Amino acid sequence: MHSYFDISRFWLLMKLELFKSRRGVAMALVIIFGLSFFLGMIVDLAIEPLTTSFDHYENYAFSLLIGGFILSSLAFHGLRNTLTRYQYLMEPVSAFERVLCMWLLSSLGWIFVFTLTFTFYTLFANTVGQLLFSHVKFNAFNPFSDQAFVTMKYYIVCQGVFLAGAAYFRGYVFPKLLILLIAIAFIALIITYSIMHDVMLADYDTGEECNLETMPDVKTVWTGAKFFFWWLLAPISWVLTYLGLKDQEV
Amino acid sequence: MIEINQLSYGYKRKHEALKSMDLSVGPGNICGLLGLNGAGKSTILKAIAGLVTPHSGEIKTLGYQPDRRDPAFLREVVIITEEFTLPGFSIGKYLELYSPFYPRFNHAAFQRYLEEFQLTNDQKLTGLSYGQKKKFLLSFGLATDCKLVLLDEPTNGLDIPSKSQFRKVVANAVHEERTLIISTHQIRDMENLIDPIIILDQGKIIFHENMESISQKLAIRRMNDLPKEGVIYHETYLGGYTILTENQSSEHTHMNLEILFNAVVGQKEKIQTVFNQKVNA
Repeated sequence: MHSYFDISRFWLLMKLELFKSRRGVAMALVIIFGLSFFLGMIVDLAIEPLTTSFDHYENYAFSLLIGGFILSSLAFHGLRNTLTRYQYLMEPVSAFERVLCMWLLSSLGWIFVFTLTFTFYTLFANTVGQLLFSHVKFNAFNPFSDQAFVTMKYYIVCQGVFLAGAAYFRGYVFPKLLILLIAIAFIALIITYSIMHDVMLADYDTGEECNLETMPDVKTVWTGAKFFFWWLLAPISWVLTYLGLKDQEV
Repeated sequence: MIEINQLSYGYKRKHEALKSMDLSVGPGNICGLLGLNGAGKSTILKAIAGLVTPHSGEIKTLGYQPDRRDPAFLREVVIITEEFTLPGFSIGKYLELYSPFYPRFNHAAFQRYLEEFQLTNDQKLTGLSYGQKKKFLLSFGLATDCKLVLLDEPTNGLDIPSKSQFRKVVANAVHEERTLIISTHQIRDMENLIDPIIILDQGKIIFHENMESISQKLAIRRMNDLPKEGVIYHETYLGGYTILTENQSSEHTHMNLEILFNAVVGQKEKIQTVFNQKVNA
């Protein structure tokens, strides 16, 4: 049997994790759809009576990202305390199988389940919405639209960070990780400003809308940042997740 | 089965729970791991199971480096800790989800253990009492047919009939390819069950002998008067003394593990002299 990956063992782990997370996912979906319906649609339309057209893409993006990040933060829930760690770490599976399993479930699995249920939810929400707000045109949600795909792409990239957080923090992963990310962003902002404040404060009067690509000094940094985000952030997060999981102790 | 060389580990930098420990355990035993609170019993079990990474030294369990947690290693080792949590499934669901990870899982034996402990497949794990949960974990652990079973204080929380059920189940579960290591304070629960006896003190093994050797070299007797010479250790009881002496005859006396433990911890040097063993000082 291979030490790192065995398909039958991996399948058993998927079954186990799916069963263990069934209630959490169901609860997350109920909460998300409740919030989307009452706050994202009913309250939104009630406080903006001039709205004539409503679509669900903003709600979809927000719910997919936040719901997925919270679920990803709970990916290695068995590590939350010493008592649960005993059983979790003694399960006969490899760290690689765990990472792959939780990545599949919390990224592709979440996108699939959420998008599917969200599509059905919008059919219900549009019907009820039409009865309540007859002057509003409710647009159908298309899960294959460009907007939906862009959201999915952002989710797949950013989700890795939350998966990595789940492998390093014990308990309260989501708030701890948010605080860490805010701290990192703040430090990065200070460093960037201290290095590039001349460029930032210079007057680029091109007569056009501000575009980072048109600022020659910033262009390289911006291109590098984009490359890092789209091509490096997720793989680095996955590697960190694996390393964090591999070196766990009770 | 287990080879430990100069193993050191500490939860804090300055305080080592295990200090340059050497230990060798073969298959086919029920080892008793005894020691005072904080002696390092649970830590050594964790190190053997790969749940902690040693700071120095070497440990091989079943030929594997345990802290690498190879799945092939993990399916041969079961650890049942003193405190634990169980998921909110029924016993049957737990069996369905977890047993396939263990290729030699013996379903018939599992059902026998459940019957022995008066448990049923439809009972929810979170609804069981502490003692019942322990019995369930023991049943599952033994039914995996793994080669190494590590039990930390297994009889804590068990009622009196359950303790004798535990002894019966454990005694029948050992075979020539399987070893059980039982860490306990409940020495009386383990009498006539554990062999060899390993005693830890302050992170070091100060005693490691099998019962045959112990009975050959030591004798425990009850006497009304305390002899002036030859007593290694004694305790008073109503109207007399329980004394531990060097065994001068070929006759074997009943070995009271509590007296033996107290003697080993309290009279370390005298015991070492009797066994003439090299101990990590």
